[in-house]
Amino acid sequence: MPLRPNRPVYLDNQATTPCDPRVLQAMLPWFCEQFANPHSVEHAMGRQAGAAVEQAREQLAALIGAEPRELVFTSGATESNNIAIKGAACYAAAVGETRRRVVTVATEHKCVLESVADLRAEGFEPVMLPVRPDGLLDPAVLAEALEVPTLLVSVMAVNNETGVVQDLAGLAAVARHAGALFHTDAAQGVGKVPLDVAAMDIDLTSISGHKIYGPKGVGALYVRRRPRVRLAPLFSGGGQERGLRSGTLPVPLIVGLGEAARLAQAEMAAEAPRLAALRDRLLERLQAMVPGLVVNGSRTARIAGNLNVTFPTATAAALMAAVPELCVSTGSACSSAELEPSYVLRALGLSDGAAGRTLRIGIGRFTSPADIEFAATALAAAHSRIEA
Amino acid sequence: MPRMTFIERDGTRRDVEAPLGLSVLEIAHKHGVDIEGACEGSLACSTCHVIVDPAWSDKLAKATEDEEDMLDLAFGLEKTSRLGCQIVMTEALDGLVVRLPQATRNVMNG
Repeated sequence: MPLRPNRPVYLDNQATTPCDPRVLQAMLPWFCEQFANPHSVEHAMGRQAGAAVEQAREQLAALIGAEPRELVFTSGATESNNIAIKGAACYAAAVGETRRRVVTVATEHKCVLESVADLRAEGFEPVMLPVRPDGLLDPAVLAEALEVPTLLVSVMAVNNETGVVQDLAGLAAVARHAGALFHTDAAQGVGKVPLDVAAMDIDLTSISGHKIYGPKGVGALYVRRRPRVRLAPLFSGGGQERGLRSGTLPVPLIVGLGEAARLAQAEMAAEAPRLAALRDRLLERLQAMVPGLVVNGSRTARIAGNLNVTFPTATAAALMAAVPELCVSTGSACSSAELEPSYVLRALGLSDGAAGRTLRIGIGRFTSPADIEFAATALAAAHSRIEA
Repeated sequence: MPRMTFIERDGTRRDVEAPLGLSVLEIAHKHGVDIEGACEGSLACSTCHVIVDPAWSDKLAKATEDEEDMLDLAFGLEKTSRLGCQIVMTEALDGLVVRLPQATRNVMNG
């Protein structure tokens, strides 16, 4: 048994990431000293807060290749996904658009699947496409679904369980060709893989702060201006954020999101290979000690920090109980409270049994080689004990 | 002189003279048609929002980004929505038909 760490080893960076201390430092002045309402344009303090919000908007825009005014701040990716999907549908219905089909993918986050499903009651036609066993959406399958005139296609940038990276540029081109809007839930992709919404021809992009070492409770939605994408707002109010998201903006959280974006842009190129090396080391060690270990999802189209592995005999629940000092998960944090096996893994073709023996391991900015060593040794030891 | 038609909120058609070089907003004001135009054509509001008859919408110069930004804030937006202050009468627009929307939003009145 390896030496017990003096605090838990956190390898669940796809559930959330710790706030980077540099992000926290950038946020702190905006709580107590500079607390003004950023919409109070009549006084100096309000204007300073407003300028801080606009600087954050520029930092986030630079990370994804958008214009600052194309970004709307929200409470996170769940809200952004709801505004994008329901807002596009409501607007289309209001202007008499006849396209009714809304296409998404079986491995999307719950909030996308549920938003799309909710549109059925409004007279839309939700379509959920399957993925290949490697987790990728086949562009030919999308093209076939779009033979029926389609309003919106929503495909996530990076899967929250498997880390599989979809070919957004290729899929967006298929959607454009069919005259459909293209939305991507990029909560797990922003800051992890290069994204350029203009070059990739993407209309709507959802962003989360806490997946990129920023604070929880803040996110953004990219809404393209050229060609213009219009949405109906879900909230009524004072008309902030181009009328799309009324409510006073949380300046400290937005400043934190901006700083997190700036750090991601500056460090992504160096961070990805470092995380990939740690991930590959962990896999190599596990495979050496646990024969029959299987990696789920594409090995190449995958973010650097993710490992999703099925153990040959021990269940994920038993492994996690045997190594309480290690924080990993069985699936997405949003669904792991349910006892049901992961629908994402089942969409990749895993049996319920295999899904139940699967761990999601998320390596992040603050993971050390010692953390990796502990995880490999402890999981392998637990597996042998359970097997015996 | 060219002419144009306003379809008012109650469905009444107003066929009026439309002098060359005047905007649809200015033509409306000249004839007492009820379009607000709170910013007097300076692209700072959406209160002169009109819906162009689809037969005419392709004949207009495309909306600028600034006009689209203001239309983002308009109530009752439709596919052929435009700002009246940005449509300037030409010979080619003789016979233009626009409809007034059901409501406008004047952000200046809060």
